Amino acid sequence: MRSKSFGWIMAALLSCAGVGTASAHHSFAAFDTTRQITLTGVVKEFQWTNPHCWLHLSVANGEGQAEEWQLEALSPNVLGRLGWKKNSVKPGDKVTVLVNPTRDGSRGGALISLTDANGNKIGGRT
Amino acid sequence: MAAPCVTRILVATALALGAGLAIGADGTPTGPPMTLKHGPGPSPARLPGGRPNWTGFWVPLGGLLEAYRGPSGVEGVPGGIAVNIPHADPTAPEMKSPYKEELSRMLQSSARGEELSSKEALCFPPGMPKMMVMVYGMEVLQTPNIVAMSSEWQSATRRIWMDLKAHPPEDELEDTYAGHSIGHWEGDVLVVDTVGVRPDVSYFYGMSLPHGKTHVIERFHQTAADVLVDDVTLIDGDVFVKPWVKAYTYHYRPDLRIQEYECLDNNRNVDEQGKSKF
Repeated sequence: MRSKSFGWIMAALLSCAGVGTASAHHSFAAFDTTRQITLTGVVKEFQWTNPHCWLHLSVANGEGQAEEWQLEALSPNVLGRLGWKKNSVKPGDKVTVLVNPTRDGSRGGALISLTDANGNKIGGRT
Repeated sequence: MAAPCVTRILVATALALGAGLAIGADGTPTGPPMTLKHGPGPSPARLPGGRPNWTGFWVPLGGLLEAYRGPSGVEGVPGGIAVNIPHADPTAPEMKSPYKEELSRMLQSSARGEELSSKEALCFPPGMPKMMVMVYGMEVLQTPNIVAMSSEWQSATRRIWMDLKAHPPEDELEDTYAGHSIGHWEGDVLVVDTVGVRPDVSYFYGMSLPHGKTHVIERFHQTAADVLVDDVTLIDGDVFVKPWVKAYTYHYRPDLRIQEYECLDNNRNVDEQGKSKF
């Protein structure tokens, strides 16, 4: 119930972030919140920074070539209270992420949830 | 755009929580009276002299931080941002010309799905009164002469001077983001008058306070042991057809501590107008 609740609320939050202060920072208009895609790849870099955390992920394309995706997450003060730590993901970790992709088709998106190689979700409710 | 957005969040929260959601059209919780889950809040903590002492950490009731924690912690109030967003994005004020035309243009632009410029996205301080949204949370520190309220968002602090009876003369008043606030007690209600907010502080859809003569009147009061309400009235006869009234509601959270949030650290995907880019 709670994880479902989170997803619905999060979707509404992100879709409206541009007009209120729900994002506390900037609009998420660059991301298509009506779509969700799943990516599996290897962590290249994790930026535990304000105003947003960023995950750089190396993902193999359909031809087996590695492509870098840049995924925007919430801020450390929010993620930290969800159970994330600055070293929750490290370069070289294999992870699976659910994201709202960019509208322009560039390799990026807004991070919705992250699951490690053992199937554990980071932060519980994400 | 505002109404559909709020509606979307209300619907999402309703879906999330199942039937029986008790939220009024203005975002105010309705239904059964609140009962507390977190035990006694700061009340009956008192300052020397007997005034309420609200020192501690508060978050928007059912707001952003509580959205991730499931239920808000107060029975009858759901988790999620349904309660917070209408406060952050209130009904448009009735304004006089030329401000109403500017507001109309911004609302139409937003309704077309256009992203508005945002100084907040450029990491400027939120300023008054918008900082009272306290989107993450608010730390209150009180002495008999000063009430300091710090926003976790942007680590911005305002100070309410309880020992001053008047604002500085207009020619000595320097416009600031938080403005100049003086306060006094009316029983257990803290009444605050703020002037001198910088004209470029945005307060609604990116609109700035048109000039520095607006008075922001606040009445802080508790509605429960761990619920604090800030009733806000903006008064400026040159700008508003009638005073613009809104309210912010905060939930006492002794289990949380304020954290630093410095927006300039890695502000990598906004353009020079504060619009998102990728």
